[in-house]
Amino acid sequence: MSHTLKAALGAIIITLCLSLSSVGQGNSASAASAIPAVPAAVSVKQIDIAGLRKALTPSDKPLLVNFWATWCDPCREEFPDLVKLDAEYKGKIDFITISLDELSEINRDVPKFLTQMKAQMPAYLLKAKDDDAAIAFVSKDWAGALPLTILYDPSGKQIYYRQGKVKLDTVRAELDKLLTPAN
Amino acid sequence: MFRKSAVLFAVLTLFAFVLSPTTEASGDLAVGGSVENFSLPDTNGKVQSLNDLKGKNGAVVIFLSAQCPVVKAYDERINQLAADYQSKGINFIGINSNHTESLDWVKSHAAETYKFPVLIDKGNVWADKLGATVTPEIYYLDSKNTLLYHGAIDNDRSGKAITENYLRIAFDSSLSGKTIARTRANAFGCSIKRVGE
Repeated sequence: MSHTLKAALGAIIITLCLSLSSVGQGNSASAASAIPAVPAAVSVKQIDIAGLRKALTPSDKPLLVNFWATWCDPCREEFPDLVKLDAEYKGKIDFITISLDELSEINRDVPKFLTQMKAQMPAYLLKAKDDDAAIAFVSKDWAGALPLTILYDPSGKQIYYRQGKVKLDTVRAELDKLLTPAN
Repeated sequence: MFRKSAVLFAVLTLFAFVLSPTTEASGDLAVGGSVENFSLPDTNGKVQSLNDLKGKNGAVVIFLSAQCPVVKAYDERINQLAADYQSKGINFIGINSNHTESLDWVKSHAAETYKFPVLIDKGNVWADKLGATVTPEIYYLDSKNTLLYHGAIDNDRSGKAITENYLRIAFDSSLSGKTIARTRANAFGCSIKRVGE
């Protein structure tokens, strides 16, 4: 076989292989699209009191913070409302959640629940050496009952403080007030 | 006649509305303040008073829940403390103020778990008066019903890494005539489920 013929055959084989491979990719892509997408597991970041201090410092936007735990029934019950709020105000406010679960749950029940809820807010788990100091840092009016939701204006002033499940209309009204430019 | 009844009904409705329990704790009992004597029914319907239930050296009023996992995590420690200090004249009195927990539920949980009475605070009246918001939450009173310590039992709800036994230290200090160094400490727990929430 001449060198020219060998080269031509090689080129044909390579082209055929590439074509088959792209057909295969096409098939696997369409097969993948037929399988329901599994939401990526939410990543939960551990923080201590120094991290809490940083997390509770607003940037240039209002900051909404929800303290919760997987063992807290009302916390779980209100979560769909929080996810709704996050979607409604995305980009206009910062919204974070801080779990008070045991540290052993940081890669288990906490991300599992947040993934189920399709929560996209940055998620933290607070592990303080002294819970009393952490509670006192958040608010002098707080005895540690969950859930707790606080809205800060961009200067860091508490605008809304709610122990127990949030009242959506009240939070929305406070957020809208904050986001409406003063005349 | 009908008109008078309608007016009376309206007035009573207005009073009921005005006097209905608030949904947030309204009390603000500070350490050093006094708790007035109160009477509440226990889980068997028998009305019992603070003054009848307290020991010669005082009482611990502890807000509980039949449902809260944090309370459940503390139950063994609560019982141990109650046993250790009953003989020293400090009696435990449980209060359940959660309107979401049925009497049957609270009754069976209390019977299975505690050796001290659990009182039913319907309408969260005493939770409001004392300002209790979380379970478990402790009010340690001396024999004159003066608040000596308020808050958490210790600093680790899991019980695995306790470094501060707040309540035990408060007991030992007061029983030995010393000043209680730490009279207030908070810990994470379940919110008391108040009427209207």
